[in-house]
Amino acid sequence: MAAKIYDVVIVGSGACGGTLAAHLARAGVEVCVVEGGPKIETRTDFNTHGMPFEFPNRVIPKMRNNKPGFDTERTRGLGGKSMLWNAVAWRFGPRDFEGYTRDGVGYDWPIGYGDLAPWYEVIEREVGVCGNLDGLEDLPDGIFLPPAPMKCSDILIQRGAAKLGRKVIHVRKATLTRAKFGRPACHYCGNCMAGCDVAAKYNSWDGHMRPLMKTGKITLQLDSIVYDVPKNAENKVTAVRFINRVTKAEGEIKGKVIVLAAACVQNVALLLQAGLANSSGRVGKDFMPHFTGGVEAFLKPLIGKPVTNDEGFLDHAYLPSFMHKEKRDYARSWGAQFNYQNRRSVGWARTLPGMGADFVKAVKDRYPAYFVFSPYGEKTPDERSYIALDPEKKDKYGLPEVKKNLYWNENDRKIFADMQRQSVAILEAAGAEIHQVYKEPKPNHEIGGSIMGKDPRKSVVDSFGRTHDHTNLYTLGGNILPSASEKNPTHTFMALSARTAAHLVERLRKGEV
Amino acid sequence: MADEVMVDQEKRETLKIIGTIGVQCAFPFAGDELWGQHVHVPPGKGVGLPKPTHFAEKDLATLNRVADLIVPGAAAADVAAYMDLVAKRNPEHQKTFREGLEWLEARGFSKMNEAEQVGLLRPLCEAVDKGEIKSAEQRFFRAAKSMAADGFFTSREGLVNTLGYQGNQVLSEFPECVIDEH
Repeated sequence: MAAKIYDVVIVGSGACGGTLAAHLARAGVEVCVVEGGPKIETRTDFNTHGMPFEFPNRVIPKMRNNKPGFDTERTRGLGGKSMLWNAVAWRFGPRDFEGYTRDGVGYDWPIGYGDLAPWYEVIEREVGVCGNLDGLEDLPDGIFLPPAPMKCSDILIQRGAAKLGRKVIHVRKATLTRAKFGRPACHYCGNCMAGCDVAAKYNSWDGHMRPLMKTGKITLQLDSIVYDVPKNAENKVTAVRFINRVTKAEGEIKGKVIVLAAACVQNVALLLQAGLANSSGRVGKDFMPHFTGGVEAFLKPLIGKPVTNDEGFLDHAYLPSFMHKEKRDYARSWGAQFNYQNRRSVGWARTLPGMGADFVKAVKDRYPAYFVFSPYGEKTPDERSYIALDPEKKDKYGLPEVKKNLYWNENDRKIFADMQRQSVAILEAAGAEIHQVYKEPKPNHEIGGSIMGKDPRKSVVDSFGRTHDHTNLYTLGGNILPSASEKNPTHTFMALSARTAAHLVERLRKGEV
Repeated sequence: MADEVMVDQEKRETLKIIGTIGVQCAFPFAGDELWGQHVHVPPGKGVGLPKPTHFAEKDLATLNRVADLIVPGAAAADVAAYMDLVAKRNPEHQKTFREGLEWLEARGFSKMNEAEQVGLLRPLCEAVDKGEIKSAEQRFFRAAKSMAADGFFTSREGLVNTLGYQGNQVLSEFPECVIDEH
């Protein structure tokens, strides 16, 4: 019997793979989702409500029921990183698509905001995004559930920022503030990034794939780590080859179309491993993750005040970019998230001065006032920031280790210095005692590595994530973004995935693949 | 008048039904879901730290005493066991603690009264606060303070009873902030 040939084989089941699988299945397309990890039971596999003192080593294990560790690097498990994300969901603004035209640095996108706007709306309508209608050009409004009220600390920051002419808005998150889609509303237990045990926070399994399993169009191939994508004489890819995570047995699944949606760095690693899509020589290049700064402070009006239950769903407010409209000595911009840690960790206590009863009092007084200001900057591409395979080192599956080379170029350094300086200024205007100002940028959301573009000599894929070199090989994720924006990117990944789904349905209907 | 109200209500009913069907067509949600059964178990009393294996009995007593002088309450939360847990995996910490314990021993720390013990530690605290961490005893103090704080504020006694942690609950709505303006 000949092996089954699926219409579309998707590698990875996170925000991109899950969105794509659901949209294709809904249109009647036969999909196989190949996931490197096991099924995650949302309700029982996370330690959402864990406290450190419930565990003998005072460390809350990420997973229960002997599930393998999840981490944000190579997350393997159904739902991928969407299980652990913080759910911040911005639309990119019109300027984010034309960075080169505006600044002369980096790249323009082959599409504009207008091309993606309808797809942002599709995602908002089907996953549920809460937020306020703010009427900002750079942070376009969408279809929102009511926002969660701001915390007292956010209101203090909002007032401080207002003194400097800066606007602080409600955060927008793919977390339900009202029961919808059969999922309950958030109950504000304050531990979103440990995995939401009720799926009030969107994840791609509960939010996209699971409701469509009954169509019978989605086949899950779990615990299967893809290491190769063979191609035929016509330069078309034909299948994915995988190793079973547990048994190490090898296998193959055939498809008319292959989509790599295994997250930015892994997608790039897979293209490099398989030797695909690299006629431009740009696979691995243009790696430009977000970088974060950070200022820790104590808000004076809250020092010594009674402790309240204000963990909420972590950050409730946001400082949108404003520097893109002002005179500055760098390209691009930055924005800031606030306080997305919860109050379960008091790691800062040890850094306060003193000892004895006075020390404990100082910690206790500052406990309700602790605040972390976390600005995010947009990195611009440079030749020293790239993803490569290690020529020697192999992981436990025998696959090459992936090396992320990162260099903070002059523009990155200028943004970092400016965002740190202005973060301190806003905190001071809000009446804060500055505790610690981070000295070095830290990489965050991974972007770039096989970017989209019109010119096949300078880019790897088109705006649908289709590789310029192979007509039936696609990739979705951070790796295809030609510029990072300073905005959290997942909403854009999902909008792009929904757009690609419609494109694939059309191609399959026409018999093009 | 009454008729208009009726029509309005009917319209609304129809809209509601269309709305529901729309959602179900888009995402035929399985009716068997168990989200409603979410049971929020409040955090337990806490479990003890593992039995210390690295430090000797008398060293543990000294460490608990030092910790308690830096973070009152730390000894009751048995922070020495936390120090043991951290140190046994880290040769660097082991050296720091060994040197610190020898330094205290040489000065007769365990036979001192409280004022004398504080008198011995206070200058170390002041130096460390100024960022002056050169001598073995200063390094020891910094490590002891860090672990005393970490160990205590991750205990139920420290986090819940002392700091008054209120989170990890089930709220039907996030409460609006009321800032006392006047």
